Amino acid sequence: MIRAVSLHKRFGAKIAVDDVSFEAADGRITGLLGPNGAGKTTTLRMLSTLVAPDRGHAEVDGLDCQRDRAKVLERLGVLPDARGLYPRLTARENVRYFGALHDMDGDVLEREIDRLFALLDMGELASRRVHGFSQGERMKVAIARTLIHGPRNVMLDEPTNGLDVMSTRSMRELIRRLRNEGCCVVFSSHVMQEVAALCDEIVVVARGTVVARGAPDELRAQTGEDDLEDAFVAAIGTDEGLH
Amino acid sequence: MSMRHVAVVFRKELLDALRDRRSLFSALVFPLFGPVLVVVMFRFIAQQNSPDAVVTLPVLGAEHAPGLVEFLGAHDIEVQPAPDDPELAVRTGVAPAVLIVDPDYGERFREGRPAKVELLVDNSRNDARSKVRRARRALDAYGSSIGAMRLVARGIDPQLTRPLAVEEVDLATPQQLAANILNVIPMFVMMSAFIGGMYVATDSTAGERERGSLEPLLGNPASRTSLVLGKWLATSALAGTSMLMTLVTAGIALSRAPLEDLGIEMSFGVRDALQVAVVMLPVATFAAGVQLLVATFARSFREAQTYLSVMTLLPMMPGMWLTIMPMDAAVWTMWVPILGQQAVLMDVIRGNAVGPASFVIPAVLAVVVALVCVRVCAWLLGRESIVFGS
Repeated sequence: MIRAVSLHKRFGAKIAVDDVSFEAADGRITGLLGPNGAGKTTTLRMLSTLVAPDRGHAEVDGLDCQRDRAKVLERLGVLPDARGLYPRLTARENVRYFGALHDMDGDVLEREIDRLFALLDMGELASRRVHGFSQGERMKVAIARTLIHGPRNVMLDEPTNGLDVMSTRSMRELIRRLRNEGCCVVFSSHVMQEVAALCDEIVVVARGTVVARGAPDELRAQTGEDDLEDAFVAAIGTDEGLH
Repeated sequence: MSMRHVAVVFRKELLDALRDRRSLFSALVFPLFGPVLVVVMFRFIAQQNSPDAVVTLPVLGAEHAPGLVEFLGAHDIEVQPAPDDPELAVRTGVAPAVLIVDPDYGERFREGRPAKVELLVDNSRNDARSKVRRARRALDAYGSSIGAMRLVARGIDPQLTRPLAVEEVDLATPQQLAANILNVIPMFVMMSAFIGGMYVATDSTAGERERGSLEPLLGNPASRTSLVLGKWLATSALAGTSMLMTLVTAGIALSRAPLEDLGIEMSFGVRDALQVAVVMLPVATFAAGVQLLVATFARSFREAQTYLSVMTLLPMMPGMWLTIMPMDAAVWTMWVPILGQQAVLMDVIRGNAVGPASFVIPAVLAVVVALVCVRVCAWLLGRESIVFGS
């Protein structure tokens, strides 16, 4: 379970996040939807312990993201906005490095890498150096590295950004699969269709604050619009940056 | 902090570096440069100063002055026929100088008037200078011996024409020159510590952020101190390897250098080499720590590389100073990292006795400064402005 309680963050004069609260339950997909620059990435960075909130707090499974950093990160898998790999290492070595930093080793680690690579349909890629991988292939390695320690909470920042149609489809399948396994999944997106297709719960963020929240049907009811896209535009107040 | 995480990061950074041509080059190829350069310089000096070397001197119009030619030949100056274009030959360095004997030489010589000879030289050529000097001296010697004979033939003591007896004493002996070059070796060893780990230091900090792998890395439960310690140890390992390689190459190079020809006595044994290694290895950890810190501050990989390149000049400064003004390990130099090591090193090379304090204090100091750098680095990785670069 992931919880944001009245998060505030400013960088210099710019207010990035201005009171964001939401709760993402286990076994559900929660989508953070909002235009570019709405504060989604900063919110996720506070939830992943890397940015300290000015006010409010973030929790994972009831643990505070600032005070219990190591414990939070043991239970959390994060695919951040930056998802660079080590080009001179093979796909397997990239994932193994992160597994080892989660105190995994030996057969347990190797078997888990095999399982994830099979799940992501990596096949031949595993033993090749990452240098020269396509966007979709890089994303698979980044995802495997995020999930290597079997986290019960998964946070993905714009996971389909830059992916082609096939990769986007398999990413959606993976997100559903994690939900069906009982994980708490939070992902951010600025693409309305994607959020609508996947989410059990939608949190609409604009100008650093939560402007609407609920299941897709509830959102339609709240805004009085029949069409989901119109409902979003009504909630945000503008359709700028929402494509 | 977890030693296990430190080991994981250390192994990964080392593997990454060993697969990279640029880091391998800086760690393993540079060590060959310095010592080889020193040996080449030694050979050059030995060649220039070897007393039995014969100077060849092309002479135009030798037939006009058989006496002079014979005298030159007797003084280790081999007279050759002149080339077609004497000026060009001197300018291009084909000949150190060309002697041109005036066609009137014989007539004027017999009449007791100054007989003209021209010595074509190019004073901007350093390589020819010592040969020109020898030719000049031989010509002067011939002139004064003829002059003396003429005076004696007229019943005058030749000594009367020498009111002054000037004797020049050249203090720049080849031995001293060679000893100064020897002092350059500690500087090369120091530099190798800075150059060997330079690439890993950049790649694992500024590079990590630039390729977008820093944020995911910090999403692991490993503490920041463990991460930085691992990177520091990997950088130190490469810097240390580079340093040891420079030492070994220097040892091999010196054993083949013509030191005895230059009158230098050096007994640099395995024991001395081990002493030097003990003195120098803390410098590798010091260089690694400072480099990681500087590269973490840099906004990009390029910027970090620029800073670190400038930093490699740092160990050259005390090196140059000590080369110009050799000094013994004064008490205060022990307290300055690099300078302390440099001073001890000079003593070891010269075979002076070195007290344990001069070994221990600079070593401990270097490691302490490095650990402070590691601590500050770990703290910086907790700062949003450093991690996200905004």
